Amino acid sequence: MRNLFTIAAKDTRIMVRDRAALLVMLAMPLGLIFILGSALGNVGEGDSLDAEVAIVNLDSGDTGERFVDGLTSAEEIDAVFNIHVRDDADKVRTEVERGDLTAALIIPKDLTDRITRGEPAPLEVLQDPGSAVIAGVWAAVVRAGVAQASAQIVAGHTLAEAFAAPLSAGPPSGADASNALPGASHGSPGETQELELDAVRVSELDVELEKEISMISFYAAAMSGMFLLFGGMFGAFSFVRERREQTLARMMSTPSSTAVIVGGKALGVMLIGVLQFLVLLAGTRLLFQVDWGSDVLAVVLVGFAEVLSAAGLAMALAALGKTERAIGGIAPAFIMLFAALGGAMIPAEQLPSWLLPVQVLSPVYWTVESFLELMRGGALADVLPNIGAVTAIGVVLLGFGVWRVRYE
Amino acid sequence: MSSIVEVRALTKRFDELVAVNDVSFSIEEGEVFGLLGPNGAGKTTTISMVSCLIEPTSGTIVVNGHDSAREPGALKAALGVVPQEIALYPTLTAAENLRFWGSMYGLRGDALKSAVADALELAGLADRAKERVEKYSGGMKRRINIAAGILHKPRVLLMDEPTVGIDPQSRNHILETVKDLNAAGMTVLYTSHYMEEVEYLCDRIAIMDHGVIIAEGTLNELRDVVGGMDVVAVKVAGVTSEVLERVRAIEGVEGVESVEDALEVLTRSSGSIMGRLVSTLESEGAHVTSVSVTEPNLESVFLHLTGKSLRD
Ligand SMILES: Nc1ncnc2c1ncn2[C@@H]1O[C@H](COP(=O)(O)OP(=O)(O)O)[C@@H](O)[C@H]1O
Ligand SMILES: [Mg+2]
Repeated sequence: MRNLFTIAAKDTRIMVRDRAALLVMLAMPLGLIFILGSALGNVGEGDSLDAEVAIVNLDSGDTGERFVDGLTSAEEIDAVFNIHVRDDADKVRTEVERGDLTAALIIPKDLTDRITRGEPAPLEVLQDPGSAVIAGVWAAVVRAGVAQASAQIVAGHTLAEAFAAPLSAGPPSGADASNALPGASHGSPGETQELELDAVRVSELDVELEKEISMISFYAAAMSGMFLLFGGMFGAFSFVRERREQTLARMMSTPSSTAVIVGGKALGVMLIGVLQFLVLLAGTRLLFQVDWGSDVLAVVLVGFAEVLSAAGLAMALAALGKTERAIGGIAPAFIMLFAALGGAMIPAEQLPSWLLPVQVLSPVYWTVESFLELMRGGALADVLPNIGAVTAIGVVLLGFGVWRVRYE
Repeated sequence: MSSIVEVRALTKRFDELVAVNDVSFSIEEGEVFGLLGPNGAGKTTTISMVSCLIEPTSGTIVVNGHDSAREPGALKAALGVVPQEIALYPTLTAAENLRFWGSMYGLRGDALKSAVADALELAGLADRAKERVEKYSGGMKRRINIAAGILHKPRVLLMDEPTVGIDPQSRNHILETVKDLNAAGMTVLYTSHYMEEVEYLCDRIAIMDHGVIIAEGTLNELRDVVGGMDVVAVKVAGVTSEVLERVRAIEGVEGVESVEDALEVLTRSSGSIMGRLVSTLESEGAHVTSVSVTEPNLESVFLHLTGKSLRD
């Protein structure tokens, strides 16, 4: 059993001396995080936004109409949004889901009735989570509009806060649109936020944007999720090299069992991955001030789970490829595919919807989602299912590898 | 006294090919046992089965009382293996390699330290222990390859062609090492296609060809196989395969082998064939520069039994 660690330590030592491997596993992700994070981080700064939004007014009375007029006539709003007034609520919903519209407001058909009866009336704000910042601005605009309308409707009630809430097009406080990531918001496409047009007060609804993630933080999460898998490629290299150079056969001629030898190799991949992850964590923190969130334990556990997948991938690749050349051909393809599906290249929410069912097969998907969730302030409990998913994928890969791998 | 290695009716098939065919031998404690045969004879396959790396198609192997099928772990613990390939980690130093292989045999702490130091001493590389193995010459790598197999002081050492592709100095060093280990009580199974090594080292020798043991015994017993025969060595240039056939056809010639610029002809009547031999060669356009008669060796035995050279 102790030879498990003897083998893992030996592999780690060999890896640390492998310059090419260090370049791929450490320098490349850090470089990409820096380049992508700073290059894409400044998009949209100073530009006019002209976000496409729609309003569907189903109200049979005239309150809805007045509300629409109020929104469409304000200059500040016009500067930011291209407002389309539409009839078909379902069509608008699909367009928001597809990302064709950034956001929409749907006014219910009984709005006037409810207000007359003094009941709360829900307004529906649809936002494309792929454009969380702009959509959030839209929600804020609508909320401000609601505040004003409430005040008008209930004449005689002074609602200082409502009046004070400006019909401003500026981003909500706390979100820095210039350096914020489109799509960093989690949640399903076409997420609905309901606002209540309360006859007495503006109900405090949670349309606050979640903590925004800077571009560089997004790429820290994404590239870490992706590059941890490269440990799997190097692990597979190590396995086939040992097979070719007969050190594997030599290990098998010692009294150690095959299980210990394979386990030691897998443990080696994990040990190397953990070291890699610690370097990436420290590197992104110190070099790029990336905030991985306050739940350090959860971040580390997510990393461990991804590293387990890397070990599984190593064995699976060693089973599929006979030579380093063959593995060097298939491994990056696998990892890129996992990464693309997992939203490490394009945010997961922006992938076409038909890809969603296969997304769950990518360990990168669960890992990046978890990192982002933790960066936004999530805790271990929020990412436990994801950790479970990554672990399960790793175990399946490992099982396949151990089942199929050849030792000579 | 019962044998420390017992191999009975060992057979290994790779699909159609029978790499090892009904091989039996036993090795007594303290012996150096040689397995001599040309490339492809089945030596490595035999060693791999003895060290439990591949499963025999049939037959039994018992080492130090442990059957390979039932107690492979205990069997392996009694064995040291020096593989034909240099099975070391090139980017680790010699000392790191030895520490790793020692640990794999269960050595820890001070026992490991002193075993590594002893092995480095034995390899004559103590002063270069901290260099990466990739920087070593072929001969030095071979020496560490051997050192890695003896760290745990095995009862039986399997050595598979440990001198292939190295300089004469390293080769001598290795042969002396084997002698020393054996003098210290280690039983050795030594395979080679160099008959001089086997002649020099081994107490008993099995000659193997095409997966079969074709002769077995002490050096003297084997020489008796070609008892009464001589080897006529002819230094000659311009020998073609046609010429070889003509020589083979000469009456009284038991076998012919061509070694670089010489022919070795095995015969019982060197006196009577000498004339025909030279005239045949000359008439075929080959130029004979010298002729001598020597004692037969293992090469001659192999030549006699198979009609071909060990060195092919
Ligand atoms: N894994 C294998 N699969 C198929 N054939 C093999 C395998 N290993 C060895 N052989 C064949 O078995 C024969 C004996 O090989 P080997 O034991 O390596 O001979 P030697 O060590 O005496 O040179 C050769 O013909 C070789 O090609
Ligand atoms: Mg061989």
